[in-house]
Amino acid sequence: MAAVTLTNVVKRFGVFEVVHGANIDIADGEFVVFVGPSGCGKSTLLRMIAGLEDISGGDIAIGGKVMNDVEAADRGIAMVFQSYALYPHMTVEQNLSFGLRMNGNPKADTERRVKRAAEILRIDELMQRRPKQLSGGQRQRVAIGRAIVREPQVFLFDEPLSNLDAELRVQMRVEISRLHKELGVTMIYVTHDQTEAMTLADRIVVLKAGNVEQIGAPLDLYDDPANRFVAGFIGSPKMNFLKANVVETSNSAAIIELVNHGGARLRKPLSNAFPAVGAEVVLGVRPEHFFEAGEGDCDIPVKADVAEHLGSVSYVYANAGPEELIVEREASRQRASGDHFTVSIKAERSLLFDKAGARIR
Amino acid sequence: MRTQNATAYRFLTPYLLIFAIFWIWPIISSFLISFQATRTVPWRFAPTFNWGRLIGDPAFYNALKNTLLILVIQVPVMISLAIVMAVLLNSPLLKARGLYRFAFFAPVVVGEVAYSAVFRLMFSLDFGIINKLLNSVGLTKIDWFSNVTPAMALIMIAVTWRWAGYNAIIILAGLQSIPEDVYEAATLDRVSRVKQFFYITLPLLKPVIVFCAVLSIIGTMQLFTEPFLITERGGPGGGTETLGLLLYRQGFRSLNFGYASAVAYTMAGLAIAITLVQLWLTREPK
Repeated sequence: MAAVTLTNVVKRFGVFEVVHGANIDIADGEFVVFVGPSGCGKSTLLRMIAGLEDISGGDIAIGGKVMNDVEAADRGIAMVFQSYALYPHMTVEQNLSFGLRMNGNPKADTERRVKRAAEILRIDELMQRRPKQLSGGQRQRVAIGRAIVREPQVFLFDEPLSNLDAELRVQMRVEISRLHKELGVTMIYVTHDQTEAMTLADRIVVLKAGNVEQIGAPLDLYDDPANRFVAGFIGSPKMNFLKANVVETSNSAAIIELVNHGGARLRKPLSNAFPAVGAEVVLGVRPEHFFEAGEGDCDIPVKADVAEHLGSVSYVYANAGPEELIVEREASRQRASGDHFTVSIKAERSLLFDKAGARIR
Repeated sequence: MRTQNATAYRFLTPYLLIFAIFWIWPIISSFLISFQATRTVPWRFAPTFNWGRLIGDPAFYNALKNTLLILVIQVPVMISLAIVMAVLLNSPLLKARGLYRFAFFAPVVVGEVAYSAVFRLMFSLDFGIINKLLNSVGLTKIDWFSNVTPAMALIMIAVTWRWAGYNAIIILAGLQSIPEDVYEAATLDRVSRVKQFFYITLPLLKPVIVFCAVLSIIGTMQLFTEPFLITERGGPGGGTETLGLLLYRQGFRSLNFGYASAVAYTMAGLAIAITLVQLWLTREPK
């Protein structure tokens, strides 16, 4: 087991910089998820930790030792690839033991490790099969098993569930979570799926265009995002963003007017920053934070466009002027397509962002 | 559905007719001819005439021996060379890859007569560059065209020069279809480059290598151009005569179509048999 520390890590491909000085501390035994949209640099960061990509600047330390110039095989890590990267011509057993056999590991120890991995992942019965004879979930287990037999200090997962169907993804998510508890080792997991990030992580690192936007526990990011990007990225369905103008400020609050909702006004208590009167701002409201008419501080009339009924809740895609809002309703308060209804926003259940996306607290 | 099929077959009829007349019929006809004595007028049915002669014909066994010798030595050497060339072409360190790819493939598109003439010049006893090079490093000249062993070696060198690049390009396509992350996984497993080649690359290339080998076996069984043009009709003294050349000699010089057909069917049968044995030996385990 080992802590992983990234200090001002930079990655350039030619003149193009894709990671701009990442600083991340991952504690021993922690499960950290790198999440962000495609091209944000999360996989590059993971591959740099693995030693599969050179580091253009900064330091990567594993277990307190700087690994910049250490060969990938000597970093004490194991990686699970998005495409599984199983050796197609080998049986499951050969796949698991290949690395150990090639390095002259004692046969008894190799067998012990392979057996243990097979037991942990419940793939004992698949040992003589080849990858093409396995389902996606089974292949993924074998790929994880190959990582386990290395007995690494750090596990790296590069979007390991993205090739699986929705049901299997949920199942494997639980398995990986169980595996983390069982092995207790440091795990770094890359995904673009915020649901995976929220369900698996001890802490999430949100990345955007090569920058670390925020690091924190899943619910901290959900409840207290640092900026509009994090607020929009974390949470499903996404947070609603309503355009607004500041019409009045005081020492403790700003009064904002929602531009696309008939001049509806909301008094938003603030503690640190006070935007100028006339400033363009954005109000963020999560779908579950729209209340019934009159229950909040500001009412908005909307028209249901499409309603998705998921059983316990439904999501209503509602038109309100040029803005489409996603409103979560309890099953008992379902709305049908075409319904006109009013939703209410509570100031303490909304977030304020400036025009550039920074949070105004 | 039946009407649709009928319409489709009506459109296909011109092709099917041409295919039947110029493809199927010659195959059947030549098979029938192999059971006829064709040096009499009119031809007469004599089932054992050509096949019986084939079994006891020293010229046939000489051609068969030469063909199999080329097959056994040249094909493995060429495929090995093609694998090495493909691996070099696939190296990220290689600059001007397109140029090398073209250079390796170019021999295939060079006219057979032109390249044979160049080879004859290069290996000429008195003014060929090869003998000059041998001389310059203190070795004696080799009379490539008058002795059987050098002449066979020359045929093998020429065929290898012509087809190694072609096979390398096919193997390169196979190499490029192996996912990079398989190698990355092996690198993380501390597997050396050499071991990666033998334990990952070669096994994964097996279907492509088998494909190249099958093509090469079929090509070698039909080998004609090089012994005809470079060593002058299988010379010296039939020392490089192949089955293809024997077929030509019997069919188009002696006009013995029956015997030539028997030789042709023997060539095809051998090619099929060797290929089947090879496919069986290299089959995927269940």
